[in-house]
Formats: sequence, C-alpha cells, structure tokens
Amino acid sequence: MIEPTIRTGTPVVQVKNLAKAYGSNVVLRDVSLSVPEGSVTAMIGPSGAGKSTVLRCMNLLEQPDSGEIEIDGHRINAGRKPNPKNLAALRRSAGMVFQHFNLFPHMTVLKNISLPQERVLGRSRDEANEKSMELLKRMGLADKADQYPSRCSGGQQQRIAIARALALGPRVMLFDEPTSALDPEVGVEVLEVMKELACTGMTMVVVTHEMAFAGNVADELVVMADGGIIEKGEPGQILQDPQHERTRRFLRAVLER
Amino acid sequence: MNNLVDVAIQYGPTLFDGLKVSLTLTLLSLAFGLPLGLVFSFGVTARNKTFRYLSVFFVEVGRGAPALVLLQLMYYGLPNAEITLSSMASACLALTWTTAAYSAELIRGGIQSVPPGEVEGSHALGMSYRDCLRFVVIPQGLRIALPSLMGFAVLLFQATSLAYSVAVPELMSQAYSIGSSTFQYLPVFIIAGLLYAGISIPATWLSVFAERMLSRHL
Repeated sequence: MIEPTIRTGTPVVQVKNLAKAYGSNVVLRDVSLSVPEGSVTAMIGPSGAGKSTVLRCMNLLEQPDSGEIEIDGHRINAGRKPNPKNLAALRRSAGMVFQHFNLFPHMTVLKNISLPQERVLGRSRDEANEKSMELLKRMGLADKADQYPSRCSGGQQQRIAIARALALGPRVMLFDEPTSALDPEVGVEVLEVMKELACTGMTMVVVTHEMAFAGNVADELVVMADGGIIEKGEPGQILQDPQHERTRRFLRAVLER
Repeated sequence: MNNLVDVAIQYGPTLFDGLKVSLTLTLLSLAFGLPLGLVFSFGVTARNKTFRYLSVFFVEVGRGAPALVLLQLMYYGLPNAEITLSSMASACLALTWTTAAYSAELIRGGIQSVPPGEVEGSHALGMSYRDCLRFVVIPQGLRIALPSLMGFAVLLFQATSLAYSVAVPELMSQAYSIGSSTFQYLPVFIIAGLLYAGISIPATWLSVFAERMLSRHL
C-alpha cells in the first residue's frame, strides 16, 4: 500500500505559458497551472477546450509550441528538443490513464503491469510480479492476472491500466477522461478506485465530465474553454457560483440535462 | 498408370533430391529475406533519407521486377560486373530480394494496424522507443502479418521452380532433365506437381493453425 503523504503543498507539476496550435487552429493559449503535492486537480470544460491537450502536453505525448513543463523537478522547455533522458525521467514521474485504457492486448494482465516495471525500473521479473499482484489485489482483480485484457470488462481494464501506471511509483497520476468510454454503472468502480487513491495522498490531475467527482473529490477545479483557463479555484465555490459567463453556460448544460 | 508408378519408382530419389534443393532454397531465402523485410518495413517510412531511399529502391525493384528477371540478372548479369556467383548463391540472392521486398510491405501493413494508443501507452509509461517496438509494436504487427507472410512463403516455394533457368538442381530442373532424357514428360511433371502440392497444401493448413494459435488473446 502507498503510505499517506503529508500535504506539503510544494508543486509536483508546474506548467507555464503553454501554447499550441495546429496551423491556424489555436488549441492552447498561454495555459499556466500548478499542482501541489497531494492535491487533486479536476479539469472540466466543453469538448475542444484543450483539457486533454494540456494533460497530454504534461508528459509530452503532445509537443507544445512554447512554454515550460516541470514534473517532480524534471523540467522541459517546449522550444528546444527534449533531452531523451530528461523526457524519460519526466514520463516516469507521471503515470497516465487514458480514455481507452491502451493496455497491450497480446499480453496477460499480469504481464501488462509487470513488463513496464522490468523495462523502465529494471526490476526482476519476480519483484515486478509481486508488485503487480499486490496492486491487482488492491484493485480487486487478483483473479484476472492470467487473463488477457479482452476478457475483462471496460471497468476492469481501466483499473488494470491504473495498476500498470501505479506500479512504476509515479509522483503524479494524470487521468484523461478515465470513465468516458465506460457505462455509467461501470464507471463507478473506476471512480471508487480514484477516490481511494486520492485519499492515500496521491497527486492527481483529472480531466473529466464527472461533475460529482470534480465537486466532491477535487481540491481544485480548473475550467477551460477555447484553449485557455477561464476559471480556477475551490470546486464547491465554482460549481455553485461560477464567475465567468462561459462557465455558467457550460455548467447549465452538464448539470441540467 | 503403370507408367506413372514406374517413373515414380525409378526417378523418385532424383526428384526427391530436387525437392530438398527447392526447400533449402526456400528456407534460405526466407531466413535472409524476412529479417531484411522487417528492416525495410521501417526503412520505407524512416526519417533518415538515405535509409528511406535505399529501402524504397529495394522494395520497389524487388516487387516491380519479376523473380525470373532477378534470377537471370544475378546469374548471367552480375559476371559482367566481375561478380560471379554459383547458381545456388545467385538464386538465393534473387529470391531473398523478392522475399525482402514483398515481406516489407506485408510487415509494414501489420505494423501500421497496431493501434497508436498502445504506442502512446508505452511512451507514457516511460518505455523507450526500442522497447515499444520490441514488446508492443513488432510482436503484434508480425502476428497480423503472419497469415499473409505464410501465404507468401508458399508462393515463394513454388517460385523456386524458376531457379531451373539458372541451373539450380531443384525439383523442376530435375524433372525437366529426366523428361528430356526419357521423353516421359507427362508422368514426371505430374509427380513433380504432386510433390510441390504435397508441401504447399499442408503449409497452408499450418498457416491457418498458426493464425489461430496467435489469436488466442482476441
């Protein structure tokens, strides 16, 4: 199990003046964000707002045009080509969970979780398997270890993906719409795991449309629209009394359907 | 019918020796051609220009030129450039080229059908580009390409019969020489055809079996 960390408040993730455009289509304009250790940041906003792009820029799956990213002391400047060692270190510090899980379908569940540990952290197979089993037990999926991912439900696959990312001991977990591809009922089991993770003090950045999760679990809410952050602060405050007209429109659309 | 049996008994061993040469030629061409095909499959989309142009050249010529032309080029053509190869070596070289060219395209197709999300997944985990290829992309790409690669191997085995034109003592040339010395062309070619079929048809079954084995996780 992960020991509860003390909330020291020092930022684990820092994003400064991030900008990105595809040709003339500007997807991010001057986004800056700081995520303190042990906190949960939820990012909401209409689709096309650039939430996922910000998240994907954090571990350089997407190359920003300009700006600066720092995770756990590993800093990358968008202008220059990243040094591969630094990039690998940054990616190791950040675990990512995708909307479509992105498990390796040709490997068993256990292998999916153990292989990255062996290759990235240099753990022995036994060590890696031990860690994987521990995480699978925690996810309530110990009996799935020898199955292939396709034999697992969407919710199970997403929990396997979370275990795979956690196995590398990340300092921050990035969630990119982790429940959007799941049935609402199945999404709940994933949200439960995420809540538990938040309780153990894991630093998390979550792009989501789950307003209840954003309101109840997050420490900070970031509202994005048109490639920029339009509002951020305490979730309860923003959900009840949004300051920005665009936020109001968005919340009306998602809450009153 | 009696005639067929007589010819089979008398010339069976010779034809069988020819079959062994055909199989050796097939296996050698596959052994050299497939790894080369894997390299070219990455080469044709590589960022490095020299690597890319070289790969495109070998793939396009290998697929564009008939195997017979390549065979003749290696055996009769190369001596003009002061390179003289034995008939077996030149046949092997030509068919390796053909194999590399065709398999490059088949493997590339397989590799491109690996979902990009899995590549992103491995990058996000901090796995190196090499590890991503080795553990995620290539195993799945090859699995997808395998049925067509095995189909190609059967065609290649049949194409080794072209090597009779450069004096490789394979099955076709053995049959031809028996025919021309005994005038028993009909029975000898029937037997040769049966021998080719006797390898090709079970090989096709094998490819179906292999496909099933490799798709267990789906």
